[in-house]
Amino acid sequence: MTRRNSVFYWMTIPAVLLFFLFHTFPALQGVYYSFTNWNGYGHSYDFIGLKNYFYLFQDGNVWNSYWFTFKFSIVTMILINVISLLIALGLNARIKSRNFFRAVYFLPNILSVLIVGYIFNYLFSNVFPIWGANLGSETLAGNILGSGKLAWIGVTLVAVWQGIAFNTILYLSGLQTIPTDIYEASNLDGASRWQEFWRITFPMIAPFFTINMVLAMKNSLMVFDLIVALTNGGPGRATQSISHLIYTGGFQGGEFAYQSANSVIYFIVIALISIVQIRFLQRRETEMS
Amino acid sequence: MRRLRKTLCLAMALLLPGSLLTSCGGGESDAGKVRIEFFQNKPEAKASFDKLIAKFNAENPGIEVTQVNPPDAETVLLTRVVKNDEPDIVGMGATDTFSVLSQSGIFEDLTNQPLLEGVNPVYVKQLTDVSGMREITGVPYATNANGIMYNKQIFRELNLQVPKTWDELIATAKAVKEAGIIPFYFTYKDDWQTNLPFNALGPNLVGNDFFQARRSGETTFKENFREVAEKMLALLDYGHNDNFGKTYADGNRAFARGEAAMYIQGTWAIPELRKTNPNLELGFFPFPTGNNADQVHLVSGVDTLLTITKSSEHKEEAAQFIEFLLKPENIGQYIEEQTAFSAVEGVEQKDPAVAELQPYFEQGRFVDFADHFIPQAVQLNSIVQSFLQNGNIDDFLGTLDREWDKVANRRQTH
Repeated sequence: MTRRNSVFYWMTIPAVLLFFLFHTFPALQGVYYSFTNWNGYGHSYDFIGLKNYFYLFQDGNVWNSYWFTFKFSIVTMILINVISLLIALGLNARIKSRNFFRAVYFLPNILSVLIVGYIFNYLFSNVFPIWGANLGSETLAGNILGSGKLAWIGVTLVAVWQGIAFNTILYLSGLQTIPTDIYEASNLDGASRWQEFWRITFPMIAPFFTINMVLAMKNSLMVFDLIVALTNGGPGRATQSISHLIYTGGFQGGEFAYQSANSVIYFIVIALISIVQIRFLQRRETEMS
Repeated sequence: MRRLRKTLCLAMALLLPGSLLTSCGGGESDAGKVRIEFFQNKPEAKASFDKLIAKFNAENPGIEVTQVNPPDAETVLLTRVVKNDEPDIVGMGATDTFSVLSQSGIFEDLTNQPLLEGVNPVYVKQLTDVSGMREITGVPYATNANGIMYNKQIFRELNLQVPKTWDELIATAKAVKEAGIIPFYFTYKDDWQTNLPFNALGPNLVGNDFFQARRSGETTFKENFREVAEKMLALLDYGHNDNFGKTYADGNRAFARGEAAMYIQGTWAIPELRKTNPNLELGFFPFPTGNNADQVHLVSGVDTLLTITKSSEHKEEAAQFIEFLLKPENIGQYIEEQTAFSAVEGVEQKDPAVAELQPYFEQGRFVDFADHFIPQAVQLNSIVQSFLQNGNIDDFLGTLDREWDKVANRRQTH
């Protein structure tokens, strides 16, 4: 018994140590620096208490990045979940070359975000405008990533395109956990397709719905590399996400301590949202089943 | 201990692919060679430096110089300074980042060093003006110019002369537009590109002394920069139909293919243009900012300066490499490949594309870029980009003043 335990310890302790060294420790350092005025490279700094937090709430750039990030995350989360559930239903049905389609729909997930970003950047700048011009629309004839009003839609489209892949796989595995005899029984009872979905399929995959909602929301709240590849926060600050602001302000702008304070707030916000989401959706799971 | 370090390096490499690998090497390699890391910020110059480095390494068997040239290099450099992992030599522009790093004591003091002997004192002064320090913390190497490129073939076909004043510039743009050709190819999806007219108009119409006065709070952007802002907006009428949708790379391609008559750009783009079209008939004139042709100054700043970091363990070898780069034949090769200008006196740029700029250099009629004096934390580029989109001058100048004060307040507390 003890021998077996020691094996388990050997399996977990290195990971815990590495996690602490590379994740927890820097995070704690960040909290520490958020109470100082360190610029990130000088050799001296002072403690300034909660001043950074105080300035954060008066900074228009911070509010702007929160507004963009939430707008982007909520739309992305909804679109990803609706579309990937539909695709999963299709891929779960008995259709020809099912495995081929599954592979195709999973493809975007294997590509790196940066590569996807640069490819779409090219498409937005050179291909889509031609389509837009053919459609006769003046707004679509330009690069929508260059427009202050529309750029966020472009970013959302790419995020949804790529995000669907992973969530589809999760839904698909959820759908396969449903025993087929339930459907046979409902068929005998004469349930319609619509009823079947809302009364059987959806409640049965409720845990997957929860995790997909939480993951999609969390991933889009933390969006960073996609922004770098597509717009770099522009035009102006129209598509600047919170993490992009923290990075550019913290490292380029010599606001290391100030943006550390921003990341502390940001961490609290994401944690709260995830907890609330899980609580709320899990309650629904139990109600449904 | 050695094993532990290796294991740690391996673990780090596994966890953070790529980014930390360089920090595991360092020091002396197995063959007892001194390793020098040369970090520089110009992707366009990578190949040119690689050639010079190969030559240096062959001549100096005891030293091995390696070049590091990541994208978004200034940010990477700052991140590495945060980690206390500075390279031995840094090559960068005389920008605000250079100023901040100099003031933080990252670079060696090179005042009175033999390295600075052949260098044009005007550029040395530009460095100290930007850094605001008495010590000289870098060696100016290559310099660039910002102005307007034009397609000589299109100008010939339309019978146009090189404009010498602002009114002539607008008249030229109008004539080109009427002929159904794009006058200016704007590449304003990249925010740093929106800044180029600002960099030319500011020093000529307001003057870089403004920034000294702004630092001490004697004046504001609102009082001085209205004309600059108006002229930036006026140019937008002569763009193409997707000014905010095209990037610098798109612009280089399009201009090289002859899709536009003029291109507001720096000399740094010339090698890129020739990659697309080696036969492009290219000319370059200073931005005519006002209506008195004799008063127009060319905008030229230090594009690459070389510094040695204080933390370097091999300062002598680093200085040896810089000395090598400064030799006339080597800097001559560099500026020829990069279409840049030499900070070392007596080395001339003979490229016909920039021949029109030579008199300005000879008469000393040049001024530094405006944004070299603006703290990067102000995020000038994105402010200018949103201004050009919404066209609100009051809002633009107000934002500049507000962001400037915010950053100044934050810096004061240090």
